[in-house]
Amino acid sequence: MRRRVRALLDWIDSRTNYQTGRRHLLDEPLPAGVGWWFVTGAVLLFLLAVQVLTGLVLTMYYVSSPELAYDSVRFISDRLPFGRIVRSLHHFGASFIVVAAVVHMLRVVLFASYRKPREVTWITGIVLLLIILGFALTGYLLPWDQKAYWATTVTINIARSAPLIGEQLGSLMRAGSELGALTLGRWYSVHVFLLPASLIAFVAAHLYLMRRHGISGPVRPVRGNAAPFYPYHAFKDSVVIAAVFAALFTLSVSVDAPLDEMADPSDASYVPRPEWYFLSLFQLLKYFPGPLEPVASMLIPGLLLAALLLLPFLDRRADRHPLRRPVVTAGCAAVGAAMALLTWLGLQDTPVRADPSSWGPLAIAGRELSSDERCAECHRPGGAALELTSTRVRRDLEWLISHAADPEIIAPGLRQPPPGGMNSAQARAVWSYMRKVRAGIAPPEVSEEMQAASRVFATRCATCHAIDGEGDGTAGGDLSDVGRRRDADWLRRWISDPAAIDETAEMPAFGDRLSADELTAIVGYLAGRR
Amino acid sequence: MIGMHTPGERRRRFLGRVVQLIHGGIAATLGVVLGGAIVLPSFAKRREDWLEAGRLSDLPENEPAPTTVRVQREDGYTQIVDRKVIFLVRTGDATVKALSSTCTHLGCRVSWDPEALLLKCPCHGGVFDATGAVKDGPPPTPLATLPTRIEGDRILVRL
Repeated sequence: MRRRVRALLDWIDSRTNYQTGRRHLLDEPLPAGVGWWFVTGAVLLFLLAVQVLTGLVLTMYYVSSPELAYDSVRFISDRLPFGRIVRSLHHFGASFIVVAAVVHMLRVVLFASYRKPREVTWITGIVLLLIILGFALTGYLLPWDQKAYWATTVTINIARSAPLIGEQLGSLMRAGSELGALTLGRWYSVHVFLLPASLIAFVAAHLYLMRRHGISGPVRPVRGNAAPFYPYHAFKDSVVIAAVFAALFTLSVSVDAPLDEMADPSDASYVPRPEWYFLSLFQLLKYFPGPLEPVASMLIPGLLLAALLLLPFLDRRADRHPLRRPVVTAGCAAVGAAMALLTWLGLQDTPVRADPSSWGPLAIAGRELSSDERCAECHRPGGAALELTSTRVRRDLEWLISHAADPEIIAPGLRQPPPGGMNSAQARAVWSYMRKVRAGIAPPEVSEEMQAASRVFATRCATCHAIDGEGDGTAGGDLSDVGRRRDADWLRRWISDPAAIDETAEMPAFGDRLSADELTAIVGYLAGRR
Repeated sequence: MIGMHTPGERRRRFLGRVVQLIHGGIAATLGVVLGGAIVLPSFAKRREDWLEAGRLSDLPENEPAPTTVRVQREDGYTQIVDRKVIFLVRTGDATVKALSSTCTHLGCRVSWDPEALLLKCPCHGGVFDATGAVKDGPPPTPLATLPTRIEGDRILVRL
């Protein structure tokens, strides 16, 4: 058997000469003293390959349209076999790549590997770093969740702040007058076609130049014989790659890649935050407000990029040891420390917002309402429509309010329209419930008192008040932290009869409309909001 | 055989094996995860439900009546309205047979010829009788029969 395989391989070699290519790739002699520091490039190349492979699988299921993008990502995460791991590998792999790229670049800088004749190898490396950041930026929008939408809005607005060409640049990035379907299509195309093609081209150029000039080797020559790449250095590469892959895989199996609720351009309460590797830049912007913004968004990053590109031409001393090049080493340390500090400050500055995985009173009430006959008559297995737990609302809240009020008119074709409809307050609660279901957030265990409080809030309070961004807060104000301002006794008296406390109060009295249990429940809930 | 190699050659072989083992392990892990995500959805079974298909009193005796059953179902990451055409054949006072309208030859849609009292496939001449049995042409098996249930006058078909 072995002889036949060998004969087959010899035949293929006689026709293709592949063994020569294999030897060329694997038998490259490396100078003595090439140690573990020289594995960084191989690790980066490996991570890029994982990213390409996982990205390939994701494109089989992802749809780049605002109507379906979020649902397709949710499908990948929740229902596709191994989809959760594939998406996590791709998501966390991006962070691993940024770290690996920075480590690789630091190694090259500290070892002065960019020196003559490797200047162009270095420049192709800088271009690759920009391509990697381009991937991170464009990939961020694709899940079309709240984080994606609002972070991209900020990114485009930063581009718009550029002097002279800002508006044109912003329009080019948006591909239209608003961030929407055209933007998503453009960024998707850049993410899966343009950037991968550029990546392959520049990786090929980088590797070709690396082989053409040979690797730079240790900063001071080490005595000894050159050894072939395979298996001696390949062993070091492989051990570190195995460790990095084990870390990435373990993380991807144990932690889900985040996915917020679906993008909602009308939600003004969302505070976007960039991914951690852009956080230093984001933080820097805070120190250059108003017309000075381009200093942080363009000038400082631009100068840094220019310094990196010119480094091989500025740093020309003979000695490659980092301690013999104090300006470069200190500059490198200063930039690194500044970015680390800004990132840390950015993390400290993260605004506190409602936990998106918690259910508010509207969603809790909506779950109860959606299980009654008015919905379940059609939304049931084998019914005219899918169960509500599987239904994706693609239209807006106003549509759902109309549908809940009169299902027959807005969804023609029903054989037996259910008796009665819902009012808009009830429909809002069902809408909130369906958004939670769509976001794949498991329903909580709710006490009877919380259920009663939720029902009262959804049907009585939410028409004028809001909690955690839910409800119409324009008339009555936000009650998210009302417990800090008012105690239970005051709330009970106010809800029962506002005019008894303030004669000019516009809020109606609910003392006669709520049962004693309902009043106790809503007072207890609101007093606990701190 | 190993004894014939020098320590340097043995080291070289050992390191080579470790490299192959690591990359084989990574390739196998990624192969299972990525291959699973590509291949397994192909074997997912469609969910079946009991769907209302009509009323028993509306059906003629022993004559296939084409009926369109409308069902909203999930299709991957989206939801579609699926319209399935079936033939309902009343076979007794309280019994009904539901035949698939899909020809068992190559999947074309058969239609009822009321003059010949036969179900005919327009693609390659497949012919079935009112019970779904093959009468002529290339179909290898009778038309598929779908499970049915009668509740009062309502006919429910499992689709």
